[in-house]
Order: sequence, then C-alpha cells, then structure tokens
Amino acid sequence: MNVYHNTLLVAVLLIMIGCDSPKGTEKIAVETPSIAAQWQEVERIDLDTIAPIGLTYFKENLWIADGDNNQLVKLTKAGTIEVVLQDLERPMHLDSDADYIYIPEYGKDVISRFDGNQKTEESMEQLDAPASISVQGTTRAVADFYHHQIWYNEGENWVAFGEKGKENGQFHYPTDVQLMGDKIYVADAYNHRVQVLDKQGKWLQTIGEAEKMNATTGIYVNEKELFATDFENNRVLVYDLEGNLQQTITEQLEKPTDVLQVDQRIYVINYGSKELVIYEYQ
Amino acid sequence: MKYIIMLAAMLLIVMSSNNVQAQNNEKDNFLVQVDGLGCPFCAYGLEKKFKEWKGLKNPKIDMETGNFTFTYPAAEKLTIAAVEKQVEAAGYTPVSVVINRSDGSIETTKKEVVTTKKAVQANQKSTVTVAGNCDMCKARIEKAANSVTGVQGATWDKNTQELTLLLSNSTTVQQVEQAIAKAGHDTPDVKASNKTYNNLHGCCQYPRLK
Repeated sequence: MNVYHNTLLVAVLLIMIGCDSPKGTEKIAVETPSIAAQWQEVERIDLDTIAPIGLTYFKENLWIADGDNNQLVKLTKAGTIEVVLQDLERPMHLDSDADYIYIPEYGKDVISRFDGNQKTEESMEQLDAPASISVQGTTRAVADFYHHQIWYNEGENWVAFGEKGKENGQFHYPTDVQLMGDKIYVADAYNHRVQVLDKQGKWLQTIGEAEKMNATTGIYVNEKELFATDFENNRVLVYDLEGNLQQTITEQLEKPTDVLQVDQRIYVINYGSKELVIYEYQ
Repeated sequence: MKYIIMLAAMLLIVMSSNNVQAQNNEKDNFLVQVDGLGCPFCAYGLEKKFKEWKGLKNPKIDMETGNFTFTYPAAEKLTIAAVEKQVEAAGYTPVSVVINRSDGSIETTKKEVVTTKKAVQANQKSTVTVAGNCDMCKARIEKAANSVTGVQGATWDKNTQELTLLLSNSTTVQQVEQAIAKAGHDTPDVKASNKTYNNLHGCCQYPRLK
C-alpha cells in the first residue's frame, strides 16, 4: 500500500513539474491593470472673438487678457464672458492677489493694477515689452521680452537677472514668470525651455529641453508639478519638479498661450481656436 | 478800397490755413508684408516698434498672411526704405512694402513677376531636410527655394522638416540648399553662416544641424 501511494505521489509530482514550465513559454503573471491617473479634458468653452494670452483667478472668477482686442474679460460662473476693462495696450500674462489683478501692458511698458473697478498704472521705463508678472506678497517678478531679462523686486528696488543668450541663466525672449516658494520659474520661450532661478538670480535648473518645445509661452507651477504650454506644437507638458516629464496633453489644444490650476482643475487657453479648455485629474 | 484789400488778404490767409490743415490731415496708407508672424508675441512686438513713430495710426497685423497695415501723416513723406529698416529693427524681414500716397500715387517694392517657370518642364521631385521652427521659417525657406531658377514648386513641412521640391532637369537640389542656407537655414549638406543664423528672429532660431 505504501509503495502504491509513494509511486502515485511521485507520478503526480512529475506531472506537476512537467506542466509548470513547458519549454519555450514563460508563466505570465496576471495582475490587475493599474491605470495611472492623468489630466483629461472635461470641458471646452468657446471664447468667441477673445484672443486669449493670459489667465488668472480673482475673486472667484477666471479673468483673461485679450491681447488682440486690448481688453480684460471676466468669465462668469454662468460661463458668460463679460468685458470689464478696455483700452489696454496688449495685456499679457496676468497675476492676482486678494486685492488686485496685475496686468503687464506689453505695448506701453507699464504694469497696471486693477481692483475690479479702478485701474492704476506703474510706468516701468526700464522694460521693453513686459510679457508677464508674478506677485508673491510684496515680491514681484516681471518677464522683459525684448531685453531678455527678469526684473525682480522684494518691495523696494528692481534688479534685473539675465541677458540675451543660450547659456544657463541667460534668456531668449522670456514670455512668462512665476514665483514659487524660494524659486523663480521662467518660460524661456525661444530657448525652448523652462529655467529655474533662486531669488538672487542664480541659475538652479533647466526643464524641458528634451521635448523641443516651440515656443514655451506659458507656465504654471504648484508644489508638485510644472505645466508648460508649447505654442507651435499644440501641447501642454507636465513635469514633476525634478524636471521629469509626467504627461503630454494634446487634447483640444491649438496654439496654447497660458495654463492655470484652480483647485482640482487646470485651465488652458488656446490662442489658435479661441477656447478655454478644462482638464481634471482622472 | 482799403476794406476790399483787407478782406482779400484775410480770405487768402484762411484759404492757406485750410490748405495746411488739409495737408496735415492727409494720410498715406501702408501695406507691409513681413516674413511670417508666427505668434502674438512677435506680432505685438512688431506693432510696438512701429508705434515708436508718433503719428502712426490704425496698425493692424494679420498673422496668417504676415500683412501689416497702418496709416501715417502724408506730410512726413515716410519712405519705403525707412519702413523696411524699422521692420528689420524689430527683428523681422520685410518681404514687400506698398504705399498708397494721399495724392493717389502708389510706391511699391513689389516687382512684376515674369512667369517663365511654366515654360520649364518640371521633371524631378526631390525632398531635402531643412531645419526650421515655425510658420515664419516656412515662409522664408519656401521663398528662398522658389528664388532658384528651375524650381517649380517648394513646400516645407514644419513637422517632418522635409522640403518637397519640383525641379527642372537643369536644377540641382544643392543649388536650392545653398539658397536656403543663405536665408539662414541648415540642410544636412549646406549650413547657414553663424552671422545669418544669429540674425534670424528668436522664433526661428532652430537647433542647428550637425
């Protein structure tokens, strides 16, 4: 009986071993597919004749700089467009705090402040075509398009960082700037990259060179990610703050000029199709 | 008699003053074709540089066609050369300028195109890689290619970087490459000079070919 049982056991084991690894095949581990969350388009809003260049969020509404028509418009919660401020001279990338929207006027070298009712202008003769402003408390930074510089002010005096060129810390037509923590992020448009500086103007990091952007028109940075609009290539590139590409968004993009995150959504404006496109992380 | 002379003198003064006024109000109309304008930053920049001229009114830029129109006081007699110089100072290349003067005369840089191309048989279709970035590059590359005798067609694709050519038998791809390099764009066999490359607008300064 024991012999019978032992023989049977050995036979079963041999069959099992034989079945386990047939030659030329590998056992494929079947796992539950994990689909990484990505930014996905959820809504598009037709901006009619608005030619959007810059975007900000102020007093619970989105505001858009309409470069071609020299005006600032508000997108109401109902989705309608309201022209609020006219007679600007080529308003560009906006920023805002609790009290004001800050408007760089590219055509006449001024930074305007708008509280929702009244506009005041700060003339900055040192600029030649301000393309963007970023405000962080009393600290401000301005992208100076034709001088290829970033102007920086911690409350009193303006100082300039950079010059025209392709090396680290040099710029070629900077179009957007954002202060974030202790860093300054710059959309270095025609060097086709994003540069990161410290607040003394020292170069720290370059992001996006491998993606061959053309041109890097707008950026938005949060605690984890950097978004860059790639105008000619109709895409938004999403990086982690180490500079690793996380996602390339192409859905519904046509000559994007700026990107902004509010809560769990990102908003991208298309200069080409005159649209606002909204994405959620899904 | 004394009164009649005084009246006539006053009339002359008024008429003369009206003439000066009319001259001051008269405007010349300008149409400038600029070598492609790829992005709003470029278009607004061109406009900004021209607005340095006091008296310039109604500037309009069509980015698709590269057409830039404006008016300027006729009394200033703004010249084609001055307009071209200002376009270049803004970092662009002027393709053509047409001035419709207030007196009805027209000045232009546009030359009558003598179409002899159709008489030449296009026998070869060729492609060559040309480095460039944007629509402004496209306009420049195609213009340079078409300037070569025997080129019957030239279309550059921004995405593939390929220039497709229709050539007569007597025309070589290398002739076209040389013309394109002179305009500032690299091909695998013929490179633009650094000076020409550096003069390209920022939009167009593509990664150089090795």
